Order: sequence, then structure tokens, then C-alpha cells
Amino acid sequence: MSAKIKENNYDQQTVLVCCGTGCTANGGRKVYEAFVEKVKDHTEWKVQPILKSTGCNGWCEKGPLVRIMPRDITYCSVTPKDVDEIINKTLLEGSLVKRLLYRDPVTKEHLSSHHQTDFYRKQHKVALRNIGEIDPGRIEDYIERGGYQALALALHNMSGQEVIDAVKASGLRGRGGGGFPTGVKWQSCKDAPGQPKYIICNGDEGDPGAFMDRSIMEGDPHTVIEGMILGAYAVGASQGFIYVRDEYDLAVQYLGKAIEDARSHGYLGPNILNSGFSFDIEIVRGGGAFVCGEETALIASIEGRTGEPKDKYIFPSEKGLWGQPTVINNVETWANVPVIILHGADSFASIGTSGSKGTKVFSLVGKVVNTGLVEVPMGTTLREIIFEIGGGVLKKRKFKAVQTGGPSGGCIPEELLDLPIDFDSLTQAGSMMGSGGLIVMDDHTCMVEVARYYVNFLAGESCGKCTPCREGIRALLEILTRICNGEGRPEDVEMLEEISTTMQEASLCALGRTAPNPVLSTLRYFRDEYLAHIEQHKCPAGVCRNLTTFYIDADACTGCGLCKKQCSVDAIQGEKKETHVIDESLCIRCGECFRNCAFNAVKIR
Amino acid sequence: MKVKINGQELEAREGETILELCLRHDIPIPHLCYHPAFGGQGACRMCLVELKEPGRVNNRLVASCTYPIHSSVEVTTESERVHRLRRNIVMLLARRASQNPWMKELVEQYGAPSLPPVQTEPADCILCGLCNHACEKMGKTAIWSMFRGIEKRIATPYDEAADECMGCAACAQICPTQAIKVEEDAATRTIWNKKFELVACRRCGKNFATREQIEYMRESSGYEVDELCDHCRKLTLAQNVRHYSR
Repeated sequence: MSAKIKENNYDQQTVLVCCGTGCTANGGRKVYEAFVEKVKDHTEWKVQPILKSTGCNGWCEKGPLVRIMPRDITYCSVTPKDVDEIINKTLLEGSLVKRLLYRDPVTKEHLSSHHQTDFYRKQHKVALRNIGEIDPGRIEDYIERGGYQALALALHNMSGQEVIDAVKASGLRGRGGGGFPTGVKWQSCKDAPGQPKYIICNGDEGDPGAFMDRSIMEGDPHTVIEGMILGAYAVGASQGFIYVRDEYDLAVQYLGKAIEDARSHGYLGPNILNSGFSFDIEIVRGGGAFVCGEETALIASIEGRTGEPKDKYIFPSEKGLWGQPTVINNVETWANVPVIILHGADSFASIGTSGSKGTKVFSLVGKVVNTGLVEVPMGTTLREIIFEIGGGVLKKRKFKAVQTGGPSGGCIPEELLDLPIDFDSLTQAGSMMGSGGLIVMDDHTCMVEVARYYVNFLAGESCGKCTPCREGIRALLEILTRICNGEGRPEDVEMLEEISTTMQEASLCALGRTAPNPVLSTLRYFRDEYLAHIEQHKCPAGVCRNLTTFYIDADACTGCGLCKKQCSVDAIQGEKKETHVIDESLCIRCGECFRNCAFNAVKIR
Repeated sequence: MKVKINGQELEAREGETILELCLRHDIPIPHLCYHPAFGGQGACRMCLVELKEPGRVNNRLVASCTYPIHSSVEVTTESERVHRLRRNIVMLLARRASQNPWMKELVEQYGAPSLPPVQTEPADCILCGLCNHACEKMGKTAIWSMFRGIEKRIATPYDEAADECMGCAACAQICPTQAIKVEEDAATRTIWNKKFELVACRRCGKNFATREQIEYMRESSGYEVDELCDHCRKLTLAQNVRHYSR
């Protein structure tokens, strides 16, 4: 034992505690504080370990995560109570705390590093390369990992045009949803007459369930800033703005600190790195509207006007903020830029598919075992993401659909799971990449209700300026609500399609044009379910209350009593180990028994 | 710059919108939210036309009130596709003002199916936004759209009598569906929950403005305002011109 202490104790160890928003909510910050306190209490250190709170590691399901470097040990679901044991056993003695290691669900083997897990093995980190490895509040950490080298390289060895050429050659496309080629956008801004020019970072992430931009801003703010400075140098801009969703408090804090640090290190402000080039960045907090993620609405919001989009017959790259040429890119897009400049366009372009280069960060949520952030090369199939990285559907239920691209995306059914995902394949499937949300749904999900949910979200979040979007959403919502309530009419499906196509063709901005996607994609792949609601007055998934009657199958019921215990209105009766019965007159059709029965004994009539 | 509208070659001014060009040449394009005083907003989408840009194969749909002409485009103002969209827009919009004669006319013209009416606030408002712009043009911001999505409506801040409002009623005058209610008696006008004293023309005695309006004119111009109605002001002006030209 003593030999071990000696050997281990001479290494410079680093403890990385995940303090992303997810882990912080689970007590990650307290774990970090416990380490700070308790490491001080020990006097036997030869080299005291370095403690760092990091951004989101992505594996939110298993958080708070604690990683110990350089041995690359990952502990899952750590609480402050575990800290003593980690310090004594791992940091001082060099042994593992087995109970905190991740256990592979198939091989039952304990894995010492998260890199060995299915969740991480298939990932390829470019935009997220530093997150979890560095303390986002320390510029030194970023510099240590090669930060601001791309900037120095560009400012001293490349012209603005050469930077644009590199971005063009890399094939980088906008990660915010549109997938517009970034280099082409920059070129158009560079060529547009007029000064000053502006750079905007779109951090108004609003899709339900999406948090990749938040994680980047919180976990590696300097990569966003370096990307923006490179963009500014390329097009000749002098001022930048980061438009951050108002709810992202931690992101605002870290970005603010990062901007200050970058200024004091000479990366921002006048005469950057003695190159003669000057640029600065200001943070603008969003006004809380989903539509402000649309670039013209975002620009209006920065200008102090109502966040409503305008027709883009002239692009913001020619006439944007205050009528000046403006490049506006999403957080993840900016995060990729330093990598392209430093490691070359070819290395970036070698990842991905022919039309979509590089990687994409997805937030994998819903009924999936491993929820969290994943970054994979473009062209990875949905099956790989959901079943290999994500570990499959929760409770081993049957996969039904995956919603991609947020509220304006679409639902993709099982038969398309082998689709290699990139910008174009998803659009062809009637959905879209969007910002990269993936919401997994199991067979207890009603697809009509899902469409209704998203349309309802957009009913509150459309800006309401143009007729097709505002009134179209209103009409879609009325019809979908009617169908879910069991009052659907035979002509409803046709009407949904007519209104949806009108919205696609006639709406002012992309929000309106894509708003009917949830309706059209569910109609395309799950039409039977609509017809079951309308014609047979049944909800096959057992979700729509007016259309569902639950009963207990006497052959399958084991009399375990779980349903009886969980029923909030005491509608289930039955003795232990005997068949239970649902009293239909009392049942409120909440579906708790149906979803939780381990023997699938609760059925729908 | 030469452009083609429905096959007919026309000379367009650089940067003018398709709608402006067409209106100049008496080519009708339906529009609800465009007004020559403010330009296009692209909100109602009734003025959609099919457009073929040089070098592009496919026609695209654009709002003619906001599309600026910078190249030799070819425009089709009426087609089956465009008609279908306009019909559906009328169908969706007419529910907001189902009893309005102008809306009824549009429904008939496009053969739009009818949907159940929607209660709006103010009643019959189709959210064309012209009142906002009229108010802004007057130099005021007494009304603006509040909320968003299907809840969006035009209102004064917090639905209270607005300090900014001077009772000019420009909003009501420009409203195509007469949705903004103005009540007047012998001496007062009430609009947007605010009551104003009316000022009579010193020549003909007809009420022509509110006291606040006169004040605002005085303040913003720096001149004393002669309390004359439009008609009498012109008459007086003409008399003066005649007097001096003698």
C-alpha cells in the first residue's frame, strides 16, 4: 500500500468536476466545493491535485461526473458524500472506487474511463473538443489546449480572403438549422460595400430539448470568441455581438468573463496581437422569444425593435444590422472555425458526407437510456445514435419515432433509422437538421398529440406577423385539438394538408415555412393513427383521454399491485396476487397504470 | 432596367418593388398591408407573385411588396398556384372579420371556403399593421402590436389610455376593416380608451382636430397653429396667394 501512495502521490493529478447546467442541477457544484474543502484537509500530498469545475460533458444521464486525470478515470452520479472515498482511495492510494464506475449494461463490466463506454466511443469531438477538459472561466486552460493559435496564425500569415477560402474549402455549413455554406455567406459580406460591418453569434437556442449551444457557451466560451474574431478578420468587421438566450445565465457569466480575459490578453480590442486589426464583442441578452433565433428577427431585436422577421430578398450579409453588411452564424458554427483554420480545411472536410462536412452535435433526449449531448460525424445513422450511443429506448419499449430539428422539424419513423443524417437527407425525409435536437419517442406516444404539442408551442412562439403562419397555426391547432378530443371529422386530414402546404409556400420566414413539418411528417408516416382517431375514435397509443378505455388483461395480470398503488383516483381494485380490475366510471384515463405495468397487462379497448 | 410582367416588357427603376412597378402600370396585385406612405411589410402575403430570376430554373414565390428589383426578372402576377394561395390566405384571414363587407367581397372573389369566425380584439382586426405605421408616421407610438403568435393584437401599452396618444385617429382612418372605434359627440372624441377635447375651425366652426393634436403641432413645428380645418386652411392659403400675387 505504501508503495502505491508514493508512486501515485508524485503525479500531478487533476480532478475535473462537471458543473454544466445538468450536473449543477444534480449537485455537481456541491461536489466540486466538497473537493476544494477536503483536499485542503489532507496534508500528505506530495503534489496537491488541481481541481477544476468544467462545462457539460454531455452524459447528463450519469451526472454529476468526476474525472481524474491523467489516468482518465470517470466516476458517475457522484455526491458530496463520495468525495472522501475518492480522495483516499483514488487520489492518494491509486485504487478505483468501483461502485462509482460505469457498468456496461451488456457485459456487466466496470469501465474505468468514460471513453470506453458506448456513449462516448462512437463520438467525434470537434465543436465540443475542450468541453469537460477545461475550466471555462480560465483563459489559460483554453490556451493550453491550442486556443488562440488559429487566430495568431490567421492574423500574421493569412489574408482575410485566405481565411474565407479555407472555410469554403472545409465545406462548413451553418449549424443553426439552415445549413447555408458558411464561406459563401462570409464572401458575400466581405464583397458587400459599406463600413462598419458586423459579426453576430446566434445563441438564442430555443428548441424544446436542445442544449448544445448552451453547453458550448458555458463550457468553452473562448472557442466561440476566437471563431468570431477569425470571422471578423475575414470579412473586415469591427464589432461583434453575441445574442444569448436570456435564460442562459451561466453562459452569460462565462462569456462575459471570457470577453474580459480575451481583452486583457490582447485577443480582443484595438490592434489584436499587434496585427493592426481591431475588433470587439458585446453580449446582448435575448428578449425571450423563440422567433428571435430567426436571423432577421434577431437583428431587429438587437436594434431595439420588435423581434419580427423581414423578407430576406436581400441577405443580412449585404444589409443586416443597422443596414450594414452582417455575418450571423450559430454558436456551434463559430466553435468549428478555429479548428478549421488551425488544422486545415482538408482535415475538417475529411469528416462527414459529400454534402455535409464535419461533425454535428445532437442533444439526445426523450425516451432514450443515455440522454445527453453527442457529437458525431455527419452521415452517422439515426440507429447508431439512438441505439448504440443512446443505449436504446427506455424500459426496453418499442421505438416509434424520433423528432429531429425541434418544433419545426419532423418525426422520423423506424423504417428510416438507417438514414445517414446530414442536412439534405433529413430535409428529404420531411424533417430537418434544425439545431440538432433528437427527441426519441416510444410506442406509448400518440403521434397526433405530438403534432398538436409542437403546433401549440409554435402558436405561442410564432411572431404573428404574417397571415399564413399566424392564422395557419391557429387553424392547425384547432383541427389537431379536435382530433385528439375525439371530434375529428373526415375532411380534417385534407384540410390539415391544404393549410400546411399554404404555410410552407406563403409564409414570410423559415419559422412559418417549417411550422407544418410536425403535422406533415406525422401524416406522412403515421397516417393510420390519424385515421384511427377520426374514423374509429381510438387512440392506438392510449394517450388521448377521450378516445381511450383501459382494462386489465386477466391472463397477463400477476396481481403485483403496482397499478393499484399508483392510481391517483383509486379506480383499480384487486387483492394481492389476484387479477386487478379497473373501474371505468372512476378512471380518469391518465395512463399511469398502462405505462408502468411491468407485464403489459393493462390494455386499451 | 427591363423586366417582364406577365409577358409584357416594362422599364423598372433600380430597387423599386414589384408591387410599386405594377401599381404604376395599373397591373392589379391584391394587397392588404401595403400602403404607399409606408412601403411594403410582407405581412399579409396576398401580394405573392411567381418570380423567375435570371440564371435560375425554378419559379419562386415572393411578396411583391418587399421584393426589390435589381435584375431582369420575369414576374407572373396571376397563376393557379398564386390563386390557390391567395384563396387560402383569404380563407384564414376572413375569420377575423367575417362580417366586414370588404372581407366578404374578397371571400366571394376568391371562392374561399368559410371557417368559423375568430373573436379578435379589437373586433374585425386583420392585423395588417397599417395602424401601427400610421401612428409611427405621425411621430407617435401610442399603439403597437402586443403579444405574439395567435395571441398577437394591436393595443395601447397595458391597454390603458396612452400618454402618447393625441387622438388624431390616423389609425382608424387607415384601417381597412374599420376595426378601430372612434366615438364623437359635439365637443369630444374617444379613441383607445382616451377622451379628447375637440377643437372647432375658427372659420367654418366644424370640429377638425383634438386639443392635443394642436399642441403637438405647435411643439414639433415651433410655430403657432392657426386653428383652421383642412378645407379652410387651403381656402385661406389660396386667398393669401391671390392677395400677394396682385
